[in-house]
Amino acid sequence: MKHNPWWNLVAMFLLISSCYAVKVGDSAPDFQAMDSNGQVHKLSQCHGKFVVLEWHNNGCPYTQKHYESGNMQHLQKEWTSKGVVWLTVISSAPGEQGYVTAQQENDYMSKMKASPTAALLDPRGDVGKLYSAKTTPHMFVVNPAGVLIYDGAIDSKATTEQADISTAKNYVSQALEESMAGRPVSTPTSRPYGCSVKYAH
Amino acid sequence: MRGKQLWIGIRFDLQDGWHTYWTNPGDSGEPPRIEWQLPAGFQVSDIQWPHPERLALASLVDYGYEDHVLLMVTVRPPERLRRVESTKIAAQVHYLVCHDVCIPGQKHLELSLPVKTSAAFSPARPLFDAARQKLPRPMPRNWKISATSTGDEFVVNLKADKVAKPVQFFPLHAEQIENAAPEKSTEVLGGLRLHLKKSEHLLRPIARLEGVIVLASGDAYRVRIPVAQPRDAHTQSKN
Repeated sequence: MKHNPWWNLVAMFLLISSCYAVKVGDSAPDFQAMDSNGQVHKLSQCHGKFVVLEWHNNGCPYTQKHYESGNMQHLQKEWTSKGVVWLTVISSAPGEQGYVTAQQENDYMSKMKASPTAALLDPRGDVGKLYSAKTTPHMFVVNPAGVLIYDGAIDSKATTEQADISTAKNYVSQALEESMAGRPVSTPTSRPYGCSVKYAH
Repeated sequence: MRGKQLWIGIRFDLQDGWHTYWTNPGDSGEPPRIEWQLPAGFQVSDIQWPHPERLALASLVDYGYEDHVLLMVTVRPPERLRRVESTKIAAQVHYLVCHDVCIPGQKHLELSLPVKTSAAFSPARPLFDAARQKLPRPMPRNWKISATSTGDEFVVNLKADKVAKPVQFFPLHAEQIENAAPEKSTEVLGGLRLHLKKSEHLLRPIARLEGVIVLASGDAYRVRIPVAQPRDAHTQSKN
């Protein structure tokens, strides 16, 4: 192929954009965000622990599927009791569905009996965009070395129907179980399913 | 009619700003599902999906339909059909429609069809004719299509006469390409070249890309694109 100077530009652009991409097997990018109790959390402070990131929008029917059934709360309880840091992340922009104030989120969590380690408020979408979070829910798992080991759906049945939860394969639990047992994660990526994350337009 | 295929469609009339989804919905959403209840011996096809549109959201891209869409199936009655006046076909439709927000829904639909020895034109025929125009057809025989896997792109080479850009590619399978990456097509001698950014979720090489190519004219074609791997894939991906 003849050398075309445009290719240099294209190559440079790709190089830049790939620096920001989140990819299973790479280090999970560090971030810091305030939770609903005013505490600042940094991913790098969780070094040595497994971390689950759960993108959340309480008005989204896919999120509701997993909260009204109690599935998400059950997962939060199960995994935090085993030392996992569970961070719920809310990237809805002000005025968009799922945007909450700190107080509203605390009320919601106590009403739903949710028990993540913390609920991070990300109204500017900085953390969401850093991770290319696409849907609610969209789940990520980071291992104790800070490496991303799972990026995708909560489970294998992409529907809004609660009845599907019991027969679905939960990819988050699978990734944690396999990784804790020292095995490779058999499903490291999947298509996250749900509503689009309601970033600012 | 006995053993003679007929077409049945489920029409979505969507209000302004609302959309529903293609078989691969893209970055968010979910395609409609239909559970059929058919009389004994009747066979129903999969949904014949009209080609979708690219629906850009804040930083995502979905594949779906706005305004209206007719999801068609073919139904084949058995060779031996009982002598009855009519036969009932029912469908439970599960769907998701989204605007800024998403609403899942379910609808039970029933259709009573007369059992006759000859077919009659339905008044809905224009709807079906219009929808069939949007069904992807087999790729023209004189087209040649192939792709190369290079770093973080699939470069698709389409050799075809009189194909002008822009063309759109809709992947049949999720998680192979980045839906929201800007689409780049360039005209080259005797055809077109498409640059598709690989999905960050694609961790293994793939042998082919399947999907639908839609031309500027609106014509849509099903394509199975063999993907050649670079000889030294490991070094390439590290660069």
